[in-house]
Amino acid sequence: MQVITRDTLFELAEGETLLEGLERTGHHVEYQCRSGYCGACRIKLKVGSVVYPKPPLAFVKRDEILPCCCLVTEPIVINVPLKSKL
Amino acid sequence: MKMKYSTFSQADNNQMGEPMFFGQPVNVARYDQQKYPIFEKLIEKQLSFFWRPEEVDVSQDRIDFRNLPDHEKHIFLGNLKYQTLLDSIQGRSPNVAFLPLVSIPELETWIETWSFSETIHSRSYTHIIRNIVNDPAVVFDDIVRNRHIIERAGDISTYYDELIQYANLYNQFGEGTHQLNGETITIDLFELKKKLYLCMMSVNVLEAIRFYVSFACSFAFAERRLMEGNAKIIRLIARDEALHLTGTQHIINIMQEGDDDPQMAEVARACHEQSIEIFRHAAEQEKQWAEYLFKDGSMIGLNYSILSQYVEYITNLRMSAVGLEPIFPGANQNPIPWINAWLVSDNVQVAPQEVEVSSYLVGQIDSEVSLEDLGEFEL
Repeated sequence: MQVITRDTLFELAEGETLLEGLERTGHHVEYQCRSGYCGACRIKLKVGSVVYPKPPLAFVKRDEILPCCCLVTEPIVINVPLKSKL
Repeated sequence: MKMKYSTFSQADNNQMGEPMFFGQPVNVARYDQQKYPIFEKLIEKQLSFFWRPEEVDVSQDRIDFRNLPDHEKHIFLGNLKYQTLLDSIQGRSPNVAFLPLVSIPELETWIETWSFSETIHSRSYTHIIRNIVNDPAVVFDDIVRNRHIIERAGDISTYYDELIQYANLYNQFGEGTHQLNGETITIDLFELKKKLYLCMMSVNVLEAIRFYVSFACSFAFAERRLMEGNAKIIRLIARDEALHLTGTQHIINIMQEGDDDPQMAEVARACHEQSIEIFRHAAEQEKQWAEYLFKDGSMIGLNYSILSQYVEYITNLRMSAVGLEPIFPGANQNPIPWINAWLVSDNVQVAPQEVEVSSYLVGQIDSEVSLEDLGEFEL
Protein backbone atom coordinates (compact mmCIF):
# COMPACT_ATOMS: atom_id res chain seq x y z
CA MET A 1 0.00 0.00 0.00
CA GLN A 2 1.29 3.45 -0.87
CA VAL A 3 2.10 5.93 1.87
CA ILE A 4 2.76 9.57 1.01
CA THR A 5 4.53 11.53 3.71
CA ARG A 6 5.57 15.17 4.01
CA ASP A 7 8.85 14.61 2.18
CA THR A 8 8.56 11.39 0.21
CA LEU A 9 6.47 8.34 -0.60
CA PHE A 10 7.00 4.62 -0.06
CA GLU A 11 5.31 1.25 -0.33
CA LEU A 12 4.42 -0.54 2.87
CA ALA A 13 6.07 -3.97 2.93
CA GLU A 14 4.18 -7.20 3.51
CA GLY A 15 3.36 -7.75 7.20
CA GLU A 16 4.91 -4.46 8.25
CA THR A 17 3.10 -1.98 10.48
CA LEU A 18 2.93 1.64 9.36
CA LEU A 19 5.23 2.53 12.26
CA GLU A 20 7.81 -0.03 11.10
CA GLY A 21 7.51 1.25 7.54
CA LEU A 22 8.09 4.83 8.66
CA GLU A 23 11.13 3.77 10.69
CA ARG A 24 12.53 1.71 7.82
CA THR A 25 12.30 4.67 5.46
CA GLY A 26 14.01 7.12 7.84
CA HIS A 27 11.01 9.07 9.04
CA HIS A 28 10.86 10.86 12.34
CA VAL A 29 8.21 9.18 14.40
CA GLU A 30 7.97 8.78 18.14
CA TYR A 31 7.01 5.53 19.85
CA GLN A 32 6.68 3.98 23.24
CA CYS A 33 4.34 1.03 23.82
CA ARG A 34 3.98 -0.02 20.15
CA SER A 35 0.66 -1.58 21.01
CA GLY A 36 -1.89 1.20 20.96
CA TYR A 37 -2.27 2.22 24.59
CA CYS A 38 0.22 5.07 25.05
CA GLY A 39 -0.49 7.21 22.01
CA ALA A 40 3.14 8.38 21.70
CA CYS A 41 3.29 7.59 17.97
CA ARG A 42 0.12 9.47 16.98
CA ILE A 43 0.42 11.25 13.61
CA LYS A 44 -1.83 13.41 11.44
CA LEU A 45 -3.71 11.71 8.63
CA LYS A 46 -4.35 14.11 5.75
CA VAL A 47 -5.95 11.93 3.11
CA GLY A 48 -7.41 8.41 3.25
CA SER A 49 -8.42 6.24 6.14
CA VAL A 50 -7.09 3.33 8.19
CA VAL A 51 -8.72 0.58 10.22
CA TYR A 52 -7.88 -0.92 13.59
CA PRO A 53 -8.12 -4.72 14.07
CA LYS A 54 -8.49 -3.91 17.80
CA PRO A 55 -9.65 -0.43 18.85
CA PRO A 56 -6.66 1.31 20.47
CA LEU A 57 -6.80 2.50 24.08
CA ALA A 58 -4.97 5.74 23.45
CA PHE A 59 -6.91 8.89 22.73
CA VAL A 60 -6.88 9.61 19.00
CA LYS A 61 -8.39 12.76 17.54
CA ARG A 62 -10.48 12.58 14.40
CA ASP A 63 -7.59 13.58 12.13
CA GLU A 64 -5.01 11.40 13.87
CA ILE A 65 -3.95 7.76 13.56
CA LEU A 66 -1.72 5.40 15.55
CA PRO A 67 0.84 3.92 13.12
CA CYS A 68 1.82 1.19 15.62
CA CYS A 69 -1.48 -0.64 15.43
CA CYS A 70 -3.52 0.60 12.46
CA LEU A 71 -3.99 -1.28 9.20
CA VAL A 72 -3.44 0.68 6.01
CA THR A 73 -6.04 -0.56 3.52
CA GLU A 74 -5.90 2.29 1.01
CA PRO A 75 -3.25 4.81 -0.09
CA ILE A 76 -2.82 7.50 2.58
CA VAL A 77 -1.22 10.91 2.95
CA ILE A 78 0.30 11.63 6.37
CA ASN A 79 2.11 14.59 7.81
CA VAL A 80 5.36 12.92 8.89
CA PRO A 81 8.80 14.37 8.04
CA LEU A 82 12.00 12.53 7.18
CA LYS A 83 14.62 12.68 9.95
CA SER A 84 17.05 14.17 7.45
CA LYS A 85 14.66 17.04 6.68
CA LEU A 86 14.11 18.13 10.29
CA MET B 1 -28.71 22.53 44.18
CA LYS B 2 -26.53 19.54 43.57
CA MET B 3 -27.20 16.15 45.09
CA LYS B 4 -25.04 15.70 48.19
CA TYR B 5 -22.33 13.10 48.18
CA SER B 6 -23.35 9.78 49.57
CA THR B 7 -21.47 6.49 49.50
CA PHE B 8 -24.68 4.91 48.30
CA SER B 9 -27.43 7.21 47.16
CA GLN B 10 -30.75 5.40 47.26
CA ALA B 11 -32.23 7.49 44.47
CA ASP B 12 -32.83 5.87 41.11
CA ASN B 13 -29.89 6.56 38.88
CA ASN B 14 -29.56 6.49 35.12
CA GLN B 15 -25.78 6.42 34.91
CA MET B 16 -25.82 6.55 31.13
CA GLY B 17 -27.18 10.07 31.36
CA GLU B 18 -24.76 11.33 34.01
CA PRO B 19 -21.67 13.40 33.23
CA MET B 20 -18.22 12.12 34.26
CA PHE B 21 -18.18 14.49 37.22
CA PHE B 22 -20.65 16.47 39.34
CA GLY B 23 -23.72 14.40 38.50
CA GLN B 24 -25.47 12.04 40.87
CA PRO B 25 -22.86 10.18 42.92
CA VAL B 26 -22.37 6.61 41.71
CA ASN B 27 -24.50 4.15 43.62
CA VAL B 28 -24.50 0.72 41.97
CA ALA B 29 -21.06 -0.31 40.73
CA ARG B 30 -22.35 -1.79 37.50
CA TYR B 31 -20.56 -2.21 34.21
CA ASP B 32 -23.28 -3.78 32.09
CA GLN B 33 -23.99 -0.38 30.56
CA GLN B 34 -21.23 2.11 30.09
CA LYS B 35 -21.18 5.70 28.93
CA TYR B 36 -17.43 5.58 28.29
CA PRO B 37 -16.29 1.96 27.81
CA ILE B 38 -12.72 3.20 27.36
CA PHE B 39 -12.36 3.43 31.14
CA GLU B 40 -13.14 -0.23 31.61
CA LYS B 41 -10.64 -1.07 28.86
CA LEU B 42 -8.06 0.90 30.81
CA ILE B 43 -8.95 -1.03 33.97
CA GLU B 44 -8.51 -4.34 32.16
CA LYS B 45 -5.18 -3.26 30.71
CA GLN B 46 -3.96 -2.03 34.10
CA LEU B 47 -4.91 -5.32 35.72
CA SER B 48 -3.11 -7.24 33.00
CA PHE B 49 0.00 -5.20 33.86
CA PHE B 50 -0.06 -6.28 37.49
CA TRP B 51 3.36 -6.81 39.02
CA ARG B 52 4.94 -6.92 42.44
CA PRO B 53 8.25 -5.21 43.30
CA GLU B 54 9.48 -8.28 45.19
CA GLU B 55 9.51 -10.19 41.91
CA VAL B 56 12.38 -8.07 40.67
CA ASP B 57 15.76 -8.92 42.05
CA VAL B 58 17.80 -5.86 42.99
CA SER B 59 20.69 -7.50 44.83
CA GLN B 60 23.24 -6.74 42.11
CA ASP B 61 22.14 -3.10 42.36
CA ARG B 62 23.49 -2.98 45.91
CA ILE B 63 26.93 -3.91 44.64
CA ASP B 64 26.67 -1.53 41.68
CA PHE B 65 25.54 1.31 43.92
CA ARG B 66 28.47 0.88 46.29
CA ASN B 67 30.85 1.30 43.34
CA LEU B 68 29.20 4.40 41.87
CA PRO B 69 31.12 7.68 42.19
CA ASP B 70 29.52 10.08 44.68
CA HIS B 71 27.97 12.37 42.08
CA GLU B 72 26.23 9.39 40.47
CA LYS B 73 25.02 8.18 43.88
CA HIS B 74 23.49 11.63 44.27
CA ILE B 75 21.78 11.37 40.87
CA PHE B 76 20.44 7.92 41.62
CA LEU B 77 19.12 8.69 45.11
CA GLY B 78 17.83 12.11 44.08
CA ASN B 79 15.66 10.52 41.44
CA LEU B 80 14.38 7.87 43.79
CA LYS B 81 13.44 10.53 46.33
CA TYR B 82 11.60 12.57 43.73
CA GLN B 83 9.75 9.55 42.39
CA THR B 84 8.84 8.54 45.92
CA LEU B 85 7.31 11.97 46.37
CA LEU B 86 5.36 11.78 43.10
CA ASP B 87 3.88 8.40 43.86
CA SER B 88 3.16 9.31 47.48
CA ILE B 89 0.89 11.97 46.05
CA GLN B 90 -0.52 9.81 43.28
CA GLY B 91 -1.18 6.79 45.50
CA ARG B 92 -3.82 8.72 47.40
CA SER B 93 -4.85 11.94 45.73
CA PRO B 94 -6.91 10.72 42.75
CA ASN B 95 -9.03 8.79 45.25
CA VAL B 96 -9.41 11.61 47.74
CA ALA B 97 -9.96 14.34 45.16
CA PHE B 98 -11.86 12.72 42.30
CA LEU B 99 -13.93 9.91 43.83
CA PRO B 100 -16.38 12.20 45.66
CA LEU B 101 -17.00 14.08 42.39
CA VAL B 102 -17.26 11.27 39.88
CA SER B 103 -20.67 10.13 38.67
CA ILE B 104 -20.16 7.16 36.36
CA PRO B 105 -19.07 3.73 37.67
CA GLU B 106 -16.51 2.81 35.00
CA LEU B 107 -14.60 6.04 35.63
CA GLU B 108 -14.89 5.64 39.40
CA THR B 109 -13.34 2.18 39.19
CA TRP B 110 -10.65 3.36 36.78
CA ILE B 111 -9.62 6.05 39.27
CA GLU B 112 -9.35 3.48 42.05
CA THR B 113 -7.42 1.04 39.84
CA TRP B 114 -5.11 3.83 38.69
CA SER B 115 -4.38 5.05 42.18
CA PHE B 116 -3.84 1.52 43.46
CA SER B 117 -1.19 0.90 40.84
CA GLU B 118 0.65 3.98 42.13
CA THR B 119 0.86 2.37 45.56
CA ILE B 120 2.74 -0.52 43.95
CA HIS B 121 5.22 2.04 42.66
CA SER B 122 5.63 3.48 46.14
CA ARG B 123 6.30 0.04 47.56
CA SER B 124 8.82 -0.63 44.84
CA TYR B 125 10.89 2.42 45.85
CA THR B 126 11.11 1.05 49.37
CA HIS B 127 12.14 -2.30 47.88
CA ILE B 128 14.97 -0.63 45.95
CA ILE B 129 16.08 1.70 48.72
CA ARG B 130 16.06 -1.04 51.37
CA ASN B 131 18.32 -3.07 49.13
CA ILE B 132 20.89 -0.47 48.24
CA VAL B 133 21.43 1.51 51.45
CA ASN B 134 21.87 0.38 55.04
CA ASP B 135 19.55 2.98 56.51
CA PRO B 136 16.53 3.75 54.28
CA ALA B 137 15.44 6.48 56.70
CA VAL B 138 18.30 8.69 55.49
CA VAL B 139 16.75 8.64 52.02
CA PHE B 140 13.09 8.93 53.02
CA ASP B 141 13.61 11.61 55.66
CA ASP B 142 15.31 13.84 53.15
CA ILE B 143 12.21 13.99 50.94
CA VAL B 144 10.51 16.57 53.14
CA ARG B 145 13.80 18.28 54.04
CA ASN B 146 15.23 18.72 50.56
CA ARG B 147 14.09 22.07 49.20
CA HIS B 148 14.45 20.98 45.56
CA ILE B 149 11.97 18.18 46.13
CA ILE B 150 9.63 20.05 48.42
CA GLU B 151 9.33 22.91 45.93
CA ARG B 152 7.92 20.42 43.41
CA ALA B 153 5.69 18.81 46.02
CA GLY B 154 4.07 22.19 46.60
CA ASP B 155 3.33 22.75 42.95
CA ILE B 156 1.78 19.34 42.45
CA SER B 157 -0.26 19.00 45.62
CA THR B 158 -1.65 22.55 45.49
CA TYR B 159 -4.01 21.72 42.63
CA TYR B 160 -5.30 18.67 44.46
CA ASP B 161 -5.59 20.47 47.79
CA GLU B 162 -7.46 23.43 46.37
CA LEU B 163 -9.88 21.16 44.57
CA ILE B 164 -10.46 19.02 47.66
CA GLN B 165 -11.05 22.03 49.92
CA TYR B 166 -13.37 23.78 47.51
CA ALA B 167 -15.29 20.58 46.80
CA ASN B 168 -15.74 20.03 50.53
CA LEU B 169 -17.27 23.47 50.93
CA TYR B 170 -19.46 22.95 47.88
CA ASN B 171 -20.65 19.63 49.21
CA GLN B 172 -21.40 21.04 52.64
CA PHE B 173 -22.89 24.42 51.80
CA GLY B 174 -23.75 24.36 48.10
CA GLU B 175 -23.46 27.27 45.71
CA GLY B 176 -23.86 30.82 47.00
CA THR B 177 -22.23 33.25 49.38
CA HIS B 178 -21.64 31.99 52.88
CA GLN B 179 -20.33 33.35 56.14
CA LEU B 180 -17.81 30.84 57.46
CA ASN B 181 -15.74 31.56 60.55
CA GLY B 182 -16.27 35.28 60.01
CA GLU B 183 -15.10 35.02 56.39
CA THR B 184 -17.29 35.60 53.36
CA ILE B 185 -16.87 32.76 50.88
CA THR B 186 -18.53 32.43 47.50
CA ILE B 187 -18.99 28.89 46.23
CA ASP B 188 -19.64 28.53 42.56
CA LEU B 189 -19.90 25.37 40.45
CA PHE B 190 -18.08 26.92 37.49
CA GLU B 191 -15.15 27.74 39.77
CA LEU B 192 -15.19 24.21 41.16
CA LYS B 193 -15.13 22.76 37.65
CA LYS B 194 -12.16 24.98 36.85
CA LYS B 195 -10.33 23.59 39.84
CA LEU B 196 -11.08 20.05 38.68
CA TYR B 197 -9.94 20.79 35.13
CA LEU B 198 -6.69 22.42 36.23
CA CYS B 199 -6.03 19.62 38.69
CA MET B 200 -6.53 17.05 35.94
CA MET B 201 -4.16 19.03 33.72
CA SER B 202 -1.56 19.14 36.47
CA VAL B 203 -1.87 15.38 37.01
CA ASN B 204 -1.53 14.88 33.27
CA VAL B 205 1.69 16.92 33.36
CA LEU B 206 2.94 14.93 36.31
CA GLU B 207 2.53 11.69 34.43
CA ALA B 208 3.58 13.06 31.08
CA ILE B 209 6.70 14.99 31.99
CA ARG B 210 7.69 14.90 35.64
CA PHE B 211 8.54 11.21 35.73
CA TYR B 212 10.65 11.25 32.61
CA VAL B 213 13.83 12.92 33.86
CA SER B 214 14.16 10.13 36.43
CA PHE B 215 13.28 7.50 33.84
CA ALA B 216 16.01 8.81 31.56
CA CYS B 217 18.63 8.65 34.32
CA SER B 218 17.61 5.13 35.38
CA PHE B 219 17.90 3.89 31.82
CA ALA B 220 21.18 5.72 31.29
CA PHE B 221 22.63 3.72 34.21
CA ALA B 222 21.23 0.52 32.75
CA GLU B 223 22.71 1.30 29.31
CA ARG B 224 26.05 0.87 31.13
CA ARG B 225 24.72 -2.34 32.68
CA LEU B 226 24.48 -0.69 36.09
CA MET B 227 21.53 -0.67 38.48
CA GLU B 228 19.67 -3.03 36.17
CA GLY B 229 17.20 -4.27 38.78
CA ASN B 230 16.16 -0.68 39.30
CA ALA B 231 15.79 -0.20 35.54
CA LYS B 232 13.63 -3.29 35.38
CA ILE B 233 11.28 -1.79 37.98
CA ILE B 234 11.32 1.61 36.29
CA ARG B 235 10.27 -0.03 33.02
CA LEU B 236 7.26 -1.53 34.75
CA ILE B 237 6.46 1.84 36.32
CA ALA B 238 6.86 3.61 32.97
CA ARG B 239 4.47 1.15 31.37
CA ASP B 240 1.87 1.90 34.05
CA GLU B 241 2.43 5.64 33.77
CA ALA B 242 1.92 5.56 30.01
CA LEU B 243 -1.48 4.02 30.65
CA HIS B 244 -2.37 6.55 33.36
CA LEU B 245 -1.39 9.28 30.96
CA THR B 246 -3.79 7.86 28.40
CA GLY B 247 -6.46 7.94 31.11
CA THR B 248 -6.02 11.64 31.90
CA GLN B 249 -5.74 12.46 28.18
CA HIS B 250 -9.13 10.83 27.63
CA ILE B 251 -10.70 12.65 30.58
CA ILE B 252 -9.32 16.01 29.45
CA ASN B 253 -10.34 15.53 25.83
CA ILE B 254 -13.86 14.46 26.82
CA MET B 255 -14.09 17.57 28.99
CA GLN B 256 -12.92 19.80 26.15
CA GLU B 257 -15.37 18.35 23.64
CA GLY B 258 -18.32 19.26 25.87
CA ASP B 259 -20.69 16.47 24.79
CA ASP B 260 -20.43 15.04 28.28
CA ASP B 261 -20.94 18.35 30.11
CA PRO B 262 -21.31 21.48 27.92
CA GLN B 263 -20.14 23.72 30.75
CA MET B 264 -16.89 21.74 30.95
CA ALA B 265 -16.03 22.84 27.41
CA GLU B 266 -16.44 26.44 28.57
CA VAL B 267 -14.30 25.69 31.60
CA ALA B 268 -11.62 24.21 29.33
CA ARG B 269 -11.61 27.36 27.20
CA ALA B 270 -11.45 29.57 30.29
CA CYS B 271 -8.47 27.53 31.56
CA HIS B 272 -6.58 27.48 28.25
CA GLU B 273 -3.85 29.95 29.21
CA GLN B 274 -3.44 28.52 32.69
CA SER B 275 -3.11 25.03 31.24
CA ILE B 276 -0.27 26.15 29.01
CA GLU B 277 1.37 27.77 32.02
CA ILE B 278 1.11 24.53 34.01
CA PHE B 279 3.04 22.77 31.22
CA ARG B 280 5.59 25.56 30.89
CA HIS B 281 6.18 25.79 34.62
CA ALA B 282 6.57 22.02 35.01
CA ALA B 283 9.01 21.86 32.08
CA GLU B 284 11.11 24.67 33.59
CA GLN B 285 11.01 22.98 36.98
CA GLU B 286 12.12 19.67 35.51
CA LYS B 287 15.02 21.37 33.76
CA GLN B 288 16.03 22.88 37.09
CA TRP B 289 15.75 19.44 38.59
CA ALA B 290 18.17 18.10 35.99
CA GLU B 291 20.53 20.92 36.90
CA TYR B 292 20.34 19.96 40.57
CA LEU B 293 20.92 16.28 39.76
CA PHE B 294 24.03 17.06 37.74
CA LYS B 295 25.40 19.75 40.05
CA ASP B 296 28.46 17.69 40.98
CA GLY B 297 28.93 16.09 37.57
CA SER B 298 27.00 14.53 34.69
CA MET B 299 26.71 10.89 33.84
CA ILE B 300 27.82 9.09 30.68
CA GLY B 301 25.27 9.65 27.93
CA LEU B 302 23.30 12.31 29.80
CA ASN B 303 23.93 15.86 30.84
CA TYR B 304 21.91 18.94 31.69
CA SER B 305 21.64 20.17 28.13
CA ILE B 306 20.52 16.83 26.67
CA LEU B 307 17.96 16.30 29.42
CA SER B 308 16.63 19.84 28.97
CA GLN B 309 16.13 19.23 25.26
CA TYR B 310 14.36 15.98 26.09
CA VAL B 311 12.06 17.73 28.57
CA GLU B 312 11.19 20.33 25.92
CA TYR B 313 10.61 17.65 23.30
CA ILE B 314 8.22 15.57 25.39
CA THR B 315 6.48 18.69 26.71
CA ASN B 316 5.61 19.58 23.11
CA LEU B 317 4.35 16.06 22.41
CA ARG B 318 2.21 15.90 25.53
CA MET B 319 0.75 19.34 24.97
CA SER B 320 -0.51 18.52 21.51
CA ALA B 321 -2.13 15.36 22.91
CA VAL B 322 -4.43 17.53 25.03
CA GLY B 323 -5.15 20.14 22.38
CA LEU B 324 -2.53 22.72 23.35
CA GLU B 325 -0.03 24.35 21.00
CA PRO B 326 3.57 23.23 21.68
CA ILE B 327 5.60 25.92 23.45
CA PHE B 328 9.17 24.95 22.51
CA PRO B 329 9.42 25.65 18.76
CA GLY B 330 12.84 24.13 18.09
CA ALA B 331 12.33 20.95 20.12
CA ASN B 332 11.03 18.61 17.43
CA GLN B 333 13.56 15.80 17.77
CA ASN B 334 14.21 13.29 20.50
CA PRO B 335 17.79 13.92 21.71
CA ILE B 336 17.89 10.51 23.47
CA PRO B 337 16.17 8.13 21.04
CA TRP B 338 17.66 5.12 22.87
CA ILE B 339 15.22 5.76 25.71
CA ASN B 340 12.34 4.40 23.61
CA ALA B 341 13.90 0.95 23.51
CA TRP B 342 13.59 0.97 27.32
CA LEU B 343 10.08 2.37 27.28
CA VAL B 344 8.69 -0.12 24.78
CA SER B 345 6.63 -2.64 26.67
CA ASP B 346 6.76 -5.60 24.27
CA ASN B 347 9.50 -7.31 26.18
CA VAL B 348 8.72 -6.30 29.73
CA GLN B 349 8.60 -9.48 31.76
CA VAL B 350 8.28 -9.94 35.45
CA ALA B 351 9.51 -13.40 36.43
CA PRO B 352 13.10 -13.01 37.70
CA GLN B 353 14.39 -16.03 35.81
CA GLU B 354 13.20 -14.43 32.59
CA VAL B 355 14.67 -11.04 33.27
CA GLU B 356 17.37 -10.23 30.82
CA VAL B 357 18.57 -7.07 32.48
CA SER B 358 18.71 -7.99 36.13
CA SER B 359 21.33 -10.52 37.10
CA TYR B 360 19.43 -13.19 38.96
CA LEU B 361 21.23 -14.07 42.17
CA VAL B 362 19.76 -16.90 44.22
CA GLY B 363 19.29 -16.00 47.87
CA GLN B 364 20.62 -12.51 47.28
CA ILE B 365 24.21 -13.76 47.63
CA ASP B 366 26.96 -12.86 45.22
CA SER B 367 27.78 -16.26 43.81
CA GLU B 368 30.67 -15.17 41.64
CA VAL B 369 33.92 -16.87 42.59
CA SER B 370 37.18 -15.63 41.15
CA LEU B 371 40.46 -17.55 40.97
CA GLU B 372 41.94 -15.22 43.57
CA ASP B 373 39.39 -16.38 46.10
CA LEU B 374 40.86 -19.85 45.80
CA GLY B 375 44.46 -18.63 46.10
CA GLU B 376 45.04 -19.89 49.62
CA PHE B 377 43.17 -23.09 49.08
CA GLU B 378 45.24 -26.27 49.40
CA LEU B 379 44.31 -29.85 48.69
